[in-house]
Amino acid sequence: TITENFANVIHGLNANHLTDQVIQRSKRMILDTLGVGLLGTSTEVCHKVTQYSKIYSSDISSTIWGHLDFRLPPLYAAFVNGVAVHSMDFDDTWHPATHPSGAVLPAVIALSEAFPQKKKISGLDLLLAFNVGIEVQGRLLRFSSEARNIPKRFHPPTVVGTMGSAAACAKLLALDQLKCKNALAIAASYAGAPLANAATQTKPLHVGNAAKHGLEAACLASQGLQGNKQILDMESGIGAFYTDYNPQTLPTLQSYPWLLDQQDVAIKRFPAHLGTHWVADAASSVRKKLVESSDNLLPLEKIEKVILKVPEVKYVNRPSPTSEHEARHSFQFVACSALLDGSVSVQSFAGENIHRPALQELLRKTQLEHPPDNTPSFESLYCEVSVTLRDGNTVSDRCDTFYGHWRKPLKKEDLEKKFQSNASSVLPAEALEGVTETVYNLEKVGDCSVL
Amino acid sequence: PEETVTSSFASFIQAVRPEHLSKTVRQRSKRMILDSIGVGLVGSTTHVFDIALQYCRELYSSVAVSSVYGKPGVKLSPTLAAFTNGVATHSMDFDDTWHPATHPSGAVLPALLAASQMLPPSTKPNGVDFLLAFNVGLEVQGRLMHFSTEAHNIPKRFHPPSVVGTMGSAAATAKLLSLSTTQCAHALGIAASLAGAPMANAATQAKPLHIGNATRLGFEAALLAARGMEANPLILDDIPGCSGFSAFYSVYQPKPLSTSSDHHEFLLEKQDIAFKRFPAHLGMHWVVDAALSVRNLFINYAGSFAPSLIRNIVLKIPMSKYINRPFPTSEHQARHSFQFNACTALLDGEVCLSSFTESSIHRQELRELLDKVVVEHPEDNVANFDKMYGEVALLLHSGDVLTGKCDTFYGHWRKPLSKESLLKKFRSNASHVFPEEKIETIITLVDNLESLSDSSQL
Repeated sequence: TITENFANVIHGLNANHLTDQVIQRSKRMILDTLGVGLLGTSTEVCHKVTQYSKIYSSDISSTIWGHLDFRLPPLYAAFVNGVAVHSMDFDDTWHPATHPSGAVLPAVIALSEAFPQKKKISGLDLLLAFNVGIEVQGRLLRFSSEARNIPKRFHPPTVVGTMGSAAACAKLLALDQLKCKNALAIAASYAGAPLANAATQTKPLHVGNAAKHGLEAACLASQGLQGNKQILDMESGIGAFYTDYNPQTLPTLQSYPWLLDQQDVAIKRFPAHLGTHWVADAASSVRKKLVESSDNLLPLEKIEKVILKVPEVKYVNRPSPTSEHEARHSFQFVACSALLDGSVSVQSFAGENIHRPALQELLRKTQLEHPPDNTPSFESLYCEVSVTLRDGNTVSDRCDTFYGHWRKPLKKEDLEKKFQSNASSVLPAEALEGVTETVYNLEKVGDCSVL
Repeated sequence: PEETVTSSFASFIQAVRPEHLSKTVRQRSKRMILDSIGVGLVGSTTHVFDIALQYCRELYSSVAVSSVYGKPGVKLSPTLAAFTNGVATHSMDFDDTWHPATHPSGAVLPALLAASQMLPPSTKPNGVDFLLAFNVGLEVQGRLMHFSTEAHNIPKRFHPPSVVGTMGSAAATAKLLSLSTTQCAHALGIAASLAGAPMANAATQAKPLHIGNATRLGFEAALLAARGMEANPLILDDIPGCSGFSAFYSVYQPKPLSTSSDHHEFLLEKQDIAFKRFPAHLGMHWVVDAALSVRNLFINYAGSFAPSLIRNIVLKIPMSKYINRPFPTSEHQARHSFQFNACTALLDGEVCLSSFTESSIHRQELRELLDKVVVEHPEDNVANFDKMYGEVALLLHSGDVLTGKCDTFYGHWRKPLSKESLLKKFRSNASHVFPEEKIETIITLVDNLESLSDSSQL
């Protein structure tokens, strides 16, 4: 069965199978995710879940990124850190669409901290487990054609992310084939959250829960709990989350072809839904055409209207967002921020910036259009921004591939810059260097709890 | 402003009062509470329960205030106690079933018990509050199931307790914690993101987790909402292009709950619950009653139960894949097998707890009978707990045919268990764990729930 095949692969993959490119890409993902998570610990949603999780404390514990003052049981550490990672929608995105790292990294790190002293986990073990978690997600996403487009029903990290976390933790725990299968089966019963909570404060919980529940599934499997051994094969298994579902076996372990090798992730440059990144790049370039030097203000009075040609994605279509969560899921908001400021950053989503009169005025002039050739897929979508002036002239520009997309990946310096900017809100400078170094040399690290 | 479905639910949860509970509803819900506790107690002797408990104890220790069924002296943190007790309740598939189909009590009771132990002495809920919260949890589940015609039949995609049970638990806990209307709405919203487990894990050891998680996660959702967590305020409404709770159904038509200040008709008033007489899937109860009746005919005919005279056993049952198992190998599968339950009833004259032990499952005589079974799915036998029937026909070598048919088994809502039968079940279950005096105390406590001043005594 396919389920058995997955269990065999999860069990059978080892460090030798990792290719250089996979190692390099996954380390970039780990670094970015840590930075995003560290920054995220300062958000309101994260404070709430931390308070909540403090109800539980025990002897076995793991850390909350950036906080040495208290510890939580591994499950809740994974939960809190997962929430932190997705709290600002700043984490990586893959194709087919999901946020792969946030569902996996918090779980494996929390788990690695929870191991008894005598059994150390090396950096390489962590890297391998991480990649198993990513790979399983990617493979599952390919079982349904629905997954290729931006989702409508279930939020993908809650479906495949939970499974990926379970796989990664099963790997780290070195579970046998049977237990790997059961980990997947149990995880399926935790998977699946509806999309409606996207653009609300609850969305970050989707990634937090994916990490936590995948870990829980692996732990329960490790204790002998059993589920349906054909969970990936049956329509009433993982297939329940899709209307068309065609599972396939994984390739053989011989020179294993990792999906991350063929398909990189997109790293976000500012904390908002991926679709808005095209909009931001197009809008920034239109602004340059409108304004001679970057010191000048955008001539608001001269603007008649702003038209955004974007794919049809209901949950990112918000003409006048009122909260930061809504703003992060608004084509219109990001376009106007970019037009006003020249670029979009973490600051763009601060309360005072969301409610600025200039922004509100520009938003009122903004409309969306959905050209039929603009498909709602992160692989093929584009954005065109047209600003029509009162004198009749139109200035426009189009973005097919934003900087940070897998077709135009962030350069090393820019990735590090993002990490430093994020992590510095919580860690001192020397720690920043230390973390970056450790991640880059992860394979050589003997005891990954130094991370 | 136009009322949304979600806000009508939130208003209901927040505003409903004990006075709204009718006598029938009180009485029925107390029966459910008693049965649920008994089933949980006997469930605390199962293997799956041991795993869940060990897991929880290893990972968490302090702020352990909530009790675990059948383990006096063991305490866990509230949501984990709820989880463990929920697993116990569903561990043997012995808990109640409603129409439309779900297992309502197991998803609600454990959370409420754990929550009432969690609250400080000054704000402990009394028995009436408890009973009200319990009914809120049931009502929300029932109302949600009425939003989709899919829910009327035996499920195929998502296991209902994991969908509506989680929401019911969130609602019940929100009620017990006296959350504001807005907080109640958010509790529902957060819970939706924790709902939904696929059917495939039914008939496996993981199935009890569905109830365990429903009660735990709904509880967590309420706790998070209490701390100010916000979700989508339209989670129950139908928003095309971006699914909320509708994600779990292909057909979804939500309706607001009426909240007139003086009168609310609870679904439990019109639609009672089915209690199981033995620990197996509800569908089994029809074939067992049919098998028992044809067994009597056979004994009259042949003088004793003589399997060698039987050529074939024909079962006329509705079509439902996950309960059609010709040769189950585990207890979980056996509890979900028409064939197994019919043959056990024929062989032993009853189906009970011990019918599902390893040795019982693998008996040679039973295997021989199973070999003779043929299954038919008549078109008029709908996979629906309100309409299905079970027919068992013995085709003898002599050419004679003996038939037994059951339209409504004893324990079904159309033929509810008498008080004595319900108490008998409870005593039998609880005796696995408690001495007699304790058992009688619980019975009295539940019977007089409204007069209890501190529900955490339960």
